[in-house]
Amino acid sequence: MEQEKRRPWRRWVVLALLIVGFYLGELFVPVQPEITVAPEKLIEEPIFENFLGFAGPLYLVNTMPTLILTVILIVLFAYAVNRSLKKSAQTDFVPRGIGNVTETILEVIYNMTEGAAGKWVKTIFPWFATIMIYVLFANLMKLIPGFESIGVLHHAQGEGHARELLVGNWYLFTAEKGEYILAPFFRGISVDLNFTFTLALIAVIGIQVVGFRAQGMGYLTKFLNFGGVFKKPVFGVIDMFMGILELISEFAKILSFAFRLFGNMFAGMVLISVFGALLGKISIVPAGIYLFELFIGIIQAFVFGILTMVFMVMATQGHGEEHAKH
Amino acid sequence: MEGSIMEAGRYVGAGLAMLGAAGAGIGVGLSALGALTGMARNPDTYGNLLSSMILGIAFSEAIAIYCLVISFLMLFKVV
Repeated sequence: MEQEKRRPWRRWVVLALLIVGFYLGELFVPVQPEITVAPEKLIEEPIFENFLGFAGPLYLVNTMPTLILTVILIVLFAYAVNRSLKKSAQTDFVPRGIGNVTETILEVIYNMTEGAAGKWVKTIFPWFATIMIYVLFANLMKLIPGFESIGVLHHAQGEGHARELLVGNWYLFTAEKGEYILAPFFRGISVDLNFTFTLALIAVIGIQVVGFRAQGMGYLTKFLNFGGVFKKPVFGVIDMFMGILELISEFAKILSFAFRLFGNMFAGMVLISVFGALLGKISIVPAGIYLFELFIGIIQAFVFGILTMVFMVMATQGHGEEHAKH
Repeated sequence: MEGSIMEAGRYVGAGLAMLGAAGAGIGVGLSALGALTGMARNPDTYGNLLSSMILGIAFSEAIAIYCLVISFLMLFKVV
């Protein structure tokens, strides 16, 4: 009963925030930020002229601070879960709070993996869970207010915005055209093709490793299937070409992994900034987009993980094994 | 003059790239259709079907997202 009385009170907060947002939108006109596909450079000069001797110049781009922040957050999260579970183990073995939530989620994922992978669940589950948690943090971090909107000013190459003094060394963009563009301090790491591509490479190499562990050298017959050419002339040749197609699809996996995550997150970023610039005063619309992006972020993290899991399961089940089952 | 033709080509290309979204729309509609039919036949499977449907929709939507990325790449002069 007590709780039911308290509920309507929170709705008025939302309404008050809407009205405040409307008037703030009048005072500080929303500006459409510069949208770039590559992460912006915080410092124009490279940190290392030739990184590691062969990799070319290394710039301090604005996804690097976010990467550090994400890793710190994940470590803190792991520490909090560990402490919560230890505390429950010392008292009555009933997990509470953050430990309970994490256990529920991981249990669902574990059961899903066990259903698909069978005896390989202990090998595949860590990949699935690690990738999912990492991508989940990366996707949700980009929704924190202040990301993409606070940063250093650079002189624009083309069209920029005018600025006005806020306090001290801090400036605010105005609606007029000017000569400055913003390089934000933080940009969500999944809005960087380098991050998604690296993760896709790790996932696909992991798939091959699991395949080799499950089938040994027999895994290679998936790609180089010459065995049947002499036994059954027509179907053997078809099998050989299927093997080549498998090899191509292995490389296509990298691209599709990378572009699926990057595309979804980049589209979300553009959607939020465009809607914020157009309808910033009516703040419920950008808030709705934010909610949608929350949903997309969770779904995409799950999709990245589950695809890795499914491909790994496919890699553990060999060609011959399948025939033996029939 | 040359610059404006380039500009026009970019916008036309960005629009044309988004044609691929039609296929993704069909895919999303088909997955929702299948899930709804299943739910109508057997309402108990609602939870299972919903999660699988959202997963399938995410996959078909990825195709539209590829198109969106290509059209963004054209619009923002990356390539």
